Amino acid sequence: MSIRYKSALLTLISLAVIYTYYFARIAAGVPAEDAIGLLIEVVITIVIVQIVGHALIAGTSSDRYAPMDERERAIDRRATAVGYYLLIASTLAASAILHMGSGKAQTANAILLAVVLTECVRQAVFLSLHHRAG
Amino acid sequence: MLPIVNTVREQREARGMTQSELGAEIAMTRQTIAAIEQRRYSPSLESAFRLARFFNMGIEHLFRWDE
Repeated sequence: MSIRYKSALLTLISLAVIYTYYFARIAAGVPAEDAIGLLIEVVITIVIVQIVGHALIAGTSSDRYAPMDERERAIDRRATAVGYYLLIASTLAASAILHMGSGKAQTANAILLAVVLTECVRQAVFLSLHHRAG
Repeated sequence: MLPIVNTVREQREARGMTQSELGAEIAMTRQTIAAIEQRRYSPSLESAFRLARFFNMGIEHLFRWDE
């Protein structure tokens, strides 16, 4: 496994696990005044997991980090294109709930969910294409 | 498997190089060299020429269409 593959895997798993926790807490009915604190905790956790995880990957991988080559750039472009269409669709869906009587906090969480889903799908597509193309 | 056959593995092994060493010479990752050798990725024309120049041979001797 290349460093970039491990990095994408770490990003996908950490985003999925940490934001599942966040949205589960929100769905369970966290008071609005606590939601910002929860979001800050989640963001700090992701930053720490990413820094520690990438340090471990860099320290244990036999490959050294290098800029993306043409094959990896092509894979990244395809994954980003898939993510772009999902982002457009999910952002439109998130803004639609604003017109269905949702409050500011619900709308903000819906947009955050759209962004997180997009990044998870982008990383998943990157991993899948990376795996298929060697 | 892609329809373009290549002799990258043979040329690399004839020079006693690893995939990582060849990749470093032509700005590609080890994974990309492996994918080219296994016919799972066709390099761009520029990279194909770079490989051919590195091996000091014509591109038509390194890559050919699999009839």
